[in-house]
Amino acid sequence: MSFFSKSPWILHYDASSCNGCDIEVLACLTPLYDVERFGIVNTGNPKHADILLITGSVNERNIDIIENLYRQMPDPKVVVAVGACACSGGIFARAYNIQGGVDKVLPVDVYVPGCAARPESIIDGVVKGIGALEQKRKKSA
Amino acid sequence: MGSLVVFLVAFPLLAGGLLLGVRNGNLRNVIVVLAGLVVAGASIATAVTFGNGNAVFFDLPNGLTLGRSLLVVEIVIAAFVVAVGIHYRRILAPILVLGQLAISLYLELGGKTPELEPGRLFWFDRLSMVMILIIGIVGTLICVHSLGYMRGFHRSSPMIKGRRTVFFALLFVFLGAMFGLVTSNYLPLMQVFWEITTLCSFLLIGYTRTKETIGYAFDALNMNMLGGLGFSIAILMLSGQPDGLDLARLTAGPATAALLPALALLCLAGLTKAAQMPFSRWLLGAMYAPSPTSALLHSSTMVKAGVFLLLRLSPAIAGSNLGTLVAFTGMLTFLFVSLVGVTEQNTKKVLAYSTIGSLGLIVGCAGLGSPELIWVGMMIIIFHAVAKGLLFLVVGTIENRFYTKDMENFDALLSRLPKVSVLALIGISGMFIAPFGVVVAKWTAIRAFLDVPGWQGAALLVIMAFGSSLTIFYWGKLLIKVLAMRPMTQHERSIERRVSRFEWLAEITLAVGVVAVAALIGVISERVVGPQALATFKGTSQAFLHVEPAMLVTMIVALLFLPTLALWASRQKRYDMADFYAAGRPVTSAGVMGAALGGVRTVTLRNYYLEGVVNGALVFRAGTVVCGVLLIALLTVGMLAR
Amino acid sequence: MNPVVYGVLFVFLAPVFGGLLAGVDRITSARMQSRVGPPLLQPFYDLGKLLQKDARQVNPIVEPLLLGHVGFMAATGAMLLGGTDLIFVAFVFALAALFLVLAAGSVNSPYSFAGAERELIVLLASEPFFILMLAAICKVSGESSYGGVLNSAVMVAPKLPGVLLAFAFVATIKLRKSPFDISTSHHAHQELVSGLTSDMSGRLLGYVEMAHWYESAILAAFVVLFFNWSVPLGLLAFAVTYGAEVLVDNSTSRAKWQLVLRSTWVVTLLLVGGNVLALFLIK
Repeated sequence: MSFFSKSPWILHYDASSCNGCDIEVLACLTPLYDVERFGIVNTGNPKHADILLITGSVNERNIDIIENLYRQMPDPKVVVAVGACACSGGIFARAYNIQGGVDKVLPVDVYVPGCAARPESIIDGVVKGIGALEQKRKKSA
Repeated sequence: MGSLVVFLVAFPLLAGGLLLGVRNGNLRNVIVVLAGLVVAGASIATAVTFGNGNAVFFDLPNGLTLGRSLLVVEIVIAAFVVAVGIHYRRILAPILVLGQLAISLYLELGGKTPELEPGRLFWFDRLSMVMILIIGIVGTLICVHSLGYMRGFHRSSPMIKGRRTVFFALLFVFLGAMFGLVTSNYLPLMQVFWEITTLCSFLLIGYTRTKETIGYAFDALNMNMLGGLGFSIAILMLSGQPDGLDLARLTAGPATAALLPALALLCLAGLTKAAQMPFSRWLLGAMYAPSPTSALLHSSTMVKAGVFLLLRLSPAIAGSNLGTLVAFTGMLTFLFVSLVGVTEQNTKKVLAYSTIGSLGLIVGCAGLGSPELIWVGMMIIIFHAVAKGLLFLVVGTIENRFYTKDMENFDALLSRLPKVSVLALIGISGMFIAPFGVVVAKWTAIRAFLDVPGWQGAALLVIMAFGSSLTIFYWGKLLIKVLAMRPMTQHERSIERRVSRFEWLAEITLAVGVVAVAALIGVISERVVGPQALATFKGTSQAFLHVEPAMLVTMIVALLFLPTLALWASRQKRYDMADFYAAGRPVTSAGVMGAALGGVRTVTLRNYYLEGVVNGALVFRAGTVVCGVLLIALLTVGMLAR
Repeated sequence: MNPVVYGVLFVFLAPVFGGLLAGVDRITSARMQSRVGPPLLQPFYDLGKLLQKDARQVNPIVEPLLLGHVGFMAATGAMLLGGTDLIFVAFVFALAALFLVLAAGSVNSPYSFAGAERELIVLLASEPFFILMLAAICKVSGESSYGGVLNSAVMVAPKLPGVLLAFAFVATIKLRKSPFDISTSHHAHQELVSGLTSDMSGRLLGYVEMAHWYESAILAAFVVLFFNWSVPLGLLAFAVTYGAEVLVDNSTSRAKWQLVLRSTWVVTLLLVGGNVLALFLIK
């Protein structure tokens, strides 16, 4: 029996986001949405996390960091790009230091659009991420 | 039996004398190793001959008598101290030694020394046997270790003039004097050996002859001579009593009021030698001497002489106000030095505080006196001698390799000096994991304190609980430092190859000794320590002798866990290891990380020393004052006991 | 029944107890925060997931040390119920806690190392209490084993009110609750990140969780010792204490380590020292 669907832990990282999506992510933890019902815990530590939630369009300085965080996460792991900026760079896509979305640096499993992404979409995205997590586990098992 | 003991005393003295004439290093190595083997062998032979017997008393063999020899030795010692005092412009020591000499002259020449019953010059029982084995085995291992250590020591400190002939001679004279001390029954005889050890420690501490060490050496000399003077005055007082100078008869049972003043002074002597507060300063100063000195003084010999005397005095003082005051002096010393130890960064000083603390526990046991507590005291003596001796030697080796005493520089020992780490872990585990510092002895002591009536019992329990927890803290810090791992360069890995074979031999033997003593605790308890405890205090309960199998297994497992782990870990050649978390910053295994805005930082880790909560120097001074007051009370109570 | 059987039962049943307790804890905390909270069995799901996850190890000795940690913690409980001398158990308890410190300290990360040091301070703060508590219980009941105390005619709690109060204070430390959770946290991005457990992942983290469950069970067993005349009452007392801890956890923020050390020692000295003194004087 796989426990990943019952206990997915997330690591939330802000890669030069305007904080709009971040506030929405944190809103998911509040009583209104309460994702802890699904066993989701927001850990601050890559080594404890299964799902990496990234907001913001990635800039030059972020590349090293998110690669490092991704590397430190143990397998199986998924990346969920939250918000328009994380998906494609959003309105900042043409800026000189912006890479243009997380998938320019890391392999993304789930894209959650929106500016800012709604908590309902984020939760939906995480659920899809859990599905991807299960698939990866089955593949590696 | 008698001849064996006399041989034990005389042989090292002669070997020491011989070594004074040997300048060639290789010849010295041979003589030291051979002499060491003889001494160790003779100790074991003596122990085996004594076997399971009861106490024996004897005189010098072949009809020899002491005659005026004691007086002669004292005159020589006094002359030396006066000369040294004049040379270094210190007045206190010459005054103290002349005081002692004056008393001896008065007694000898005035014909006041009472007749000692024939055949009672020396006293050998199980306690003596334990001490003989410690001095003979641990002591000689330290001498062997020094052969390698001193070479490294002088190489790293070329400005210090080497006087190794004197150094090694002193080590052996020291051993001889200790043998004499633990087998004497005639108090003046014991006192001469006592003073010889004081003198040897002075010369050894001041070995490097720097201004600093001379100061510390005189600290040791003054404090120990003060105790020695107390010893002399006690002899003067006791010379008026029948059997007053026969230690065994003196301490056969609770003392009469007439004897208490003299006993108080003897306790003073014991407390100074065991570096209890307010006299702890000299032992800390001794840390500036080469490591073998520290090992010899602190683990296997000199300070043990102090607690040895107190254990001998235990039946006489237990139950009296004097005994209670002595016990509290010891226990409060334990508490205070454990607190200071937590704030200390110099590793050798931490070991010194730990030693003073352990001795404080033994003093506490001796002051209260009961079969269980004598058992505890002797167990601590045995285990502490072996484990602490090992630790001092290991720290000495590490010092020589890293040129530092600061605990903060000891980190990642497991990666830098893997084999040495294994030995260090055996020593540390021995000190506080398995049947040593924490578990059996402290546990038995707590059980015994539960039976002490009145507020004293409560106070002792509280002191023990807090003191014990403090020791966990500093040992824990040391353990963390040793166990940290980092990948090493080839050069760093090669440092360990330069450790000399003498050092390995001594340290590995002692490590084996630690494990052996732990495994044999049941045998030691039932055959040696237990009977001695029951002989000292007539007790009926034998329950404390027996060590439950569950506990024994737990202790052995705990003892061997860390060293075995270290041995295994140090063999892992390559491992695909993850980066440690540094806020997402890329970081190398050496701890260099890319910081913000393109900068570079190195990760530095530092232990907590409880600054802001505990002021080490203040606590030390407080302890000195509190125990100083206790000491004055002790002496007053003793004097007024008539 | 032979006490050894109880000891063995403890090894298998204590994690179940601890896990359920953790589940109740999370639900209660959530309800206090107007949320619904996870299912009751969530801690077991978490453990299951951790055991299935990869463990990214930073050096080879963390795992053996953590195995030592959970092993000695289980042994502490087993020996406690199995009838070993109570004061000896106190020392083994401290040893088990030490292994966690060593495991975290061997990692060179600042977060892990600082967590280890703080955990050592917390151990320093709580250790005098546990030694004195068990010594006091032995003195009051005249017994030295768990079974002995339970069967003793002497009622322990009325004679040790100070100790019992202090227990509630000190238990906050062992249960890892605010304001004394200075070395690790279950919540995101605290000032030490995850403190002690920063560099532990997968099954290594699982060992730490299990050890914590064993620890909770051991603390429950200690409370029962106080109410030695009625085990159900003891368990109820533990439940009440635990509930209070959860409430405190949700209403306070983390203290600094200096405050933790000072306050715990003052409480131990006054409440426990005073109680013990009274014990010795009133005979």
